Amino acid sequence: MPKIVYLLFVFGLLGCTKEVNIDIPGFQEMLVIDGSIETGMPPIIFISKSKDIYASTNLNAFLNGFQTGAIVTVNNGTSSVVLDEICADNLPPGTETIVADLLGIPVSELPNYHLCAYTTFNTSIWGEVGKTYALEVTFEGKTYTSSTKIENPTNLNSVFWQTDKNYSDRGYSWANLSDNPSQYDAYKWEVKRLNTYGNSTPIDTKFTTTFNPVFDDEFMNGKTFNFFYENPMTSSDDNIPSDYRGYFLLNDTVVIKLSKMERKVYEFMEKKYVQMGTAGNPFATPTNVTTNITGGAIGVWAGYSPTYDTLICKP
Amino acid sequence: MKHFIFKLLMVLAFSSFGQDQVTLSGYLKDAKNGEALIGVKVYIPALEKGTISNTYGFFSLTVPKGKYEVEFRSYLGTETKEFDLQQSINIDFELGNKIQEIEEVLVNAKKGENVQSTKVGQIELEVEKIKTLPAFMGEVDIVKTIQLLPGVSSASEGGQGFYVRGGSPDQNLVLLDEATVYNASHLFGMFSVFNSDAIKSANLIKGSMPANYGGRMSSVLEINMNEGNYKQFKIKGGLGLISSRLTLEGPIVKDKASFMVSARRTYLDLFMKAFIPKGSSFAGTSYYFYDLNFKLNYKVGKRDRLFLSSYYGKDNFTFGNTNDAFNVTMPWGNAIASLRWNHVFSNKLFMNVSGTFTDYLFSFISDQEEFNFQLNSGIRDFGGKIDFSYFPNFKHKVKYGADYTYHIFTPSSVSAKQKDVTFDTGLAQKLYGHESGIYVLDEFDWTEKIRINVGIRYSMYQHVGPFTRYIKTDITNPDSTLFYPKRKVIQFYHGLEPRLSGRFLISKTASLKAGYSYNYQYVHLTSMSTVSLPTDIWFPTTNIAKPQKGWQASIGYFQNFKNDHYEASVEVYYKSMSNLTEFKEGALPSDNVNDNTDNILVFGKGQSYGIEFFFKKTVGKFTGWVGYTLAKSTRIFPDLNDGKAFSAKYDRRHDLSLVASYKLNDRLTFGAAFIFATGNTLTLPTAWYVQGQDLLFHYGARNSARMAPYHRLDLSLTIYDKPYRMKKNEAGEKIKVIKKLRSNWAISVYNVYNRSNPYFLYVDNKGNFLQGDFQIKVKQVTLFPILPSVTWNFEF
Repeated sequence: MPKIVYLLFVFGLLGCTKEVNIDIPGFQEMLVIDGSIETGMPPIIFISKSKDIYASTNLNAFLNGFQTGAIVTVNNGTSSVVLDEICADNLPPGTETIVADLLGIPVSELPNYHLCAYTTFNTSIWGEVGKTYALEVTFEGKTYTSSTKIENPTNLNSVFWQTDKNYSDRGYSWANLSDNPSQYDAYKWEVKRLNTYGNSTPIDTKFTTTFNPVFDDEFMNGKTFNFFYENPMTSSDDNIPSDYRGYFLLNDTVVIKLSKMERKVYEFMEKKYVQMGTAGNPFATPTNVTTNITGGAIGVWAGYSPTYDTLICKP
Repeated sequence: MKHFIFKLLMVLAFSSFGQDQVTLSGYLKDAKNGEALIGVKVYIPALEKGTISNTYGFFSLTVPKGKYEVEFRSYLGTETKEFDLQQSINIDFELGNKIQEIEEVLVNAKKGENVQSTKVGQIELEVEKIKTLPAFMGEVDIVKTIQLLPGVSSASEGGQGFYVRGGSPDQNLVLLDEATVYNASHLFGMFSVFNSDAIKSANLIKGSMPANYGGRMSSVLEINMNEGNYKQFKIKGGLGLISSRLTLEGPIVKDKASFMVSARRTYLDLFMKAFIPKGSSFAGTSYYFYDLNFKLNYKVGKRDRLFLSSYYGKDNFTFGNTNDAFNVTMPWGNAIASLRWNHVFSNKLFMNVSGTFTDYLFSFISDQEEFNFQLNSGIRDFGGKIDFSYFPNFKHKVKYGADYTYHIFTPSSVSAKQKDVTFDTGLAQKLYGHESGIYVLDEFDWTEKIRINVGIRYSMYQHVGPFTRYIKTDITNPDSTLFYPKRKVIQFYHGLEPRLSGRFLISKTASLKAGYSYNYQYVHLTSMSTVSLPTDIWFPTTNIAKPQKGWQASIGYFQNFKNDHYEASVEVYYKSMSNLTEFKEGALPSDNVNDNTDNILVFGKGQSYGIEFFFKKTVGKFTGWVGYTLAKSTRIFPDLNDGKAFSAKYDRRHDLSLVASYKLNDRLTFGAAFIFATGNTLTLPTAWYVQGQDLLFHYGARNSARMAPYHRLDLSLTIYDKPYRMKKNEAGEKIKVIKKLRSNWAISVYNVYNRSNPYFLYVDNKGNFLQGDFQIKVKQVTLFPILPSVTWNFEF
C-alpha cells in the first residue's frame, strides 16, 4: 500500500465533500444597507436585498439586488444632505476613479454595470474627524436609521518589513502601535502595493483587507506593541506556490491604511470576519452579523478615520 | 393514595421485626480469577425470592429459618447449593467451577430479570459479550455499543458524546469506579477513554435514576474496571492498525490481593513522522493518545476490602508549519483516581466508603513569530461518599448515604504576549463549589406482584469565593468587577429529588413498570461548536447560571418469550428540563476572556418525549437485538430564535438499530450492526447578501434544517485459534495439549456499503459576481467511508 494511502486510511480522511440539495426553510427577504464614510470622503450607501440561499447567482441577479428609488439622508449635526443616486454606467464626469474604488470595479469596466449607490459631491457632508453622522433611509414606505462617529485617528509609531526565517527576500508587514489607555480603540488594517507592472499599470488598484483585518484594544489597552499582517493579495492566489503565498517581496512598496472605528462598527466587523473566516468549519457557531441599523434592515453604517504609512520592503 | 402511603410506612417501620429470620450473606467471586461477580441473582425457588449481588459482589438475603436450595445465577451459569438455615450464615462463594454449555449459561444468567426487576430504562453490558461485535478501527468500545441501544443516540459520526432520551451530553453522569469522568473521549470523540481490556462491565440507567445517584438529569453510565486476577498472572493485549493494548494482571498475595495494569497507545504520530518529509511545511504535525488504567485490590480481612483505581490518559495534537514558524500544541486529558473501602458490619449491613479525584484539563498553546498564546480550561473534583446497604429481610433492600464533592472549575484561563509585552487577558476564571447530597431508598415487595423502589435525595450546592464577577453595562462603558473573598458563600441552592419506580407482575413472563425521578444538576456544559469538542466548557452553577432541573416519567411493558430466550419491551417517556444553557446569539470564543462565562450564557427550558421498542434474543448461536425509538426533543430560550421553540441539536425522530452475532462454531463468530437514524438538525444560512464587496450569510431559525438520514452497516468476523495443539507422547501417540497462548483475529468492516453519511453541512461560495463565475452551494462533509480493520488479540 503506498505510504500516503496508508496515512489517509489511518486518519479516516478518505471521506469526501459533495454538493447536496436540502430543504433550508425560513427565508425572509431583508433590506441590506451598506454605508460608509471616512475622513475627507463622501458618504456612500449601497442598498440591496438579501437573496434566498438557493437563488440565482449570475451577474444579473447580483446587479438586480441593488435597489434604486430610496431617499437617503445624512446629517452631521449642522448639515443635512439628501444623497444622489448614482449608477456605474451613468456617472458624473470626474467621479469615475472614486466610484471605481468604492465599487471595486476597474474604471474601464464601469460602463458595463448598472450598479447603483447613493452618495453626494456636496463636501459639507463629507467625513470629518470627531463628527457624528446620522443616516436615514426611506424605502418602500419604511424608514431605517443609524449613526456613526468618525473617531480620532491613531498613527502607527513605525512600520517595517521583516523577513521570514526561511527566506531572505520574503516577509510580512510589521508595525509598532501605542494604544491610548484612556479610551476604547478599534482598528482596521488595509494595504495596497504601489508596485506597477512593466506597462506601468498598478499592480493593486484598491486597498485590500487580510482575512481578519480588525482588532480592538480589549487585550492591549495602553500597551505599545509590534504586530504584523500578511500580504492579502497573494495569500489565496492559486497561481503562486503555497509556500510563497502571503509574503511581501523585497523592494515592494506598500501603503498601509490603518482606520479607527467606533465600538458598534467594530462589533459588526468582528462578527463579519469571524463568519467569513469560519465558513465551512464544523467547530464554529453559526453567527449572524450584528447591525447598527434600526428598523429591521441588516448591514452597517460605518465611519472610519484612516491614517496612511508607506512601507518600503527592505531589511 | 393515603392508603398506599400508610401501607408503605407500615411496611418500612415493621419490616425488620420479623421473628425466626436468618440471613445468608457473603461475597461472590469468579472461581477462574477470583474477581467479584457483579449482578449475580441469588434465588430461592421455594420462596420465589431472591436478591442481586452488588458492584462489589456482596449479597445478603434474609429469610425464614429453613432448609433451602439456593440458586446462584451468573453469566458463568447457575449453581445450586443447599443450606440448612437455622442461623445466619456469612460465607464467600466461588462460582464457575461447574462447566456448562454456553446456551445453558445464557438462559440462566438473567432469567426473568427483564420482567421481574423494578429497573426501568436500565441496561447492563459486559465487555466480553461485545467483543465479537463490529468495532470501529478495531477498537472495542463500550460507549459505541451503548449508542446502539434504544433511547441513546450518538452525537455525530464516530462521536463519543451520547444523548439519552433527548437530554444533552452533560446530563449523563459517567462514572469510572465511582469517580466522575468529564470527558470520556479521545481523538475529538472518535474513541472512548475506556480501554476494553481494562473494563469489566457497564451499567446504563436512562430512566428512573435511583436516589443514590445525583448531579445529572438524564442518565448514569457506571463503568467498572477489572479487578485483576487473584489466582494467576496473566498477560493479554491486542495489536491493531492504529493502536495497541497491553494488560498485566495477577495476584500480589494469592486470593487476597491482586493488581491490574492496562496501557493503550496510538501510533499515528510515528507513522506521520515516517511519512511526512522533514522539509515539508507540516513536518511538525502529529497526534497521539495514550491511557493507563491501574487497579489494586486488597482483602484486608473477612469484613474489609480496599480498592485503589486510577486512570490517566492524554491526547496530544501538535501542528507545526515550518514556513510560517507557526506552531500549535493542544494537549488534553483526564486523571482519575478512587480509593474505596468496603466493610461488612453484619450480614445485613454493608458499607462502602470512597474518596475520588478527577482532573480534566484542556490546553491550547500557539506560537507564531513573536507571539505566544495559551489557553487552559479544566475542572478538578475532590469527592467523598459513604453508602450503606441494609438488608432487613428478603422483602427489603435499603440504601442510604451521603456524598460530597469540592469542585474547582477553570472555564477559561488565557495568557498572550508578544516578546516582553504581556497583553491584558483579565483574570483567570476560577470558580469553587461545594456539592453534596444525602439519600435514602428502599426497594421492597409490597405484594407478591408489586415491587417498589422509593427514594428521596436532598442535594445542595454552594458557590463560594474567591470569585470575581464582571459587571457588564452598556458597551460604550468599561466593565466593573465585584470581588468575593475566599469561602464567602455567593449563592446556595438546594432541593429535594424524589425518585419512584415500581413493577407490577402481570404473569411470570410479563410485567408493567413505571418510574418517576426529579433531578437537580449543578454543572453545565457549554459549547459554541456544532459538534462535541474537548474545547466545550464545563461551567458550574452560579448566582447567574441556576442549577438545571428536570423530571422524567416513564412507563413500560416487559414481556419474555420462549422460556426467556427472547425479551421484549415497550417504554414511553416524557422528560421536562429547565435552566438549560446556551451561548448568546453571536457569542465568540474570545468573549470568555476578560469576562465570566455565565455573562454570555442564556437560559431556557426543554422537553422530550418518545417511545422505545426493544426486542432481544439472548440465547443460542444467533443472538442480538433490535431497538427502535420514535422521539422528539425541543428547546425554548427567550433570548434565542425570537423566543420560539426549536428542535434540540440532536433531536432524532427515528432511531433504529439492529445488532446480531452468530457463532458458527468454536472458532468463528460473525457480527453485524445496522443503524438508521433521522439526520441531525443544524442551523444553515437562509439568505446571502453583499457588504463591502464581501459575501455574508444570514442564518435562519435555529436548528431548522436537517441533514440527510444516517444509516450504516458494519460487519465483523472473529477467528479464534485452536485451543490446543497436537503433541506426541512418550508412547508416540498424538495427544491434545491445551495451549497457553490463546489468540484471535478480529476483522471489522465499518460502513460496508460506503454510505456517504453527513458529518456536517456548510454553505460554500466561490468565484466573483463581476466575473460571472460566482456560485453558492450547500456541501456535505462525510467523515468515514468504508473502513476495514484488523486486530490481533492475545492472552496467556
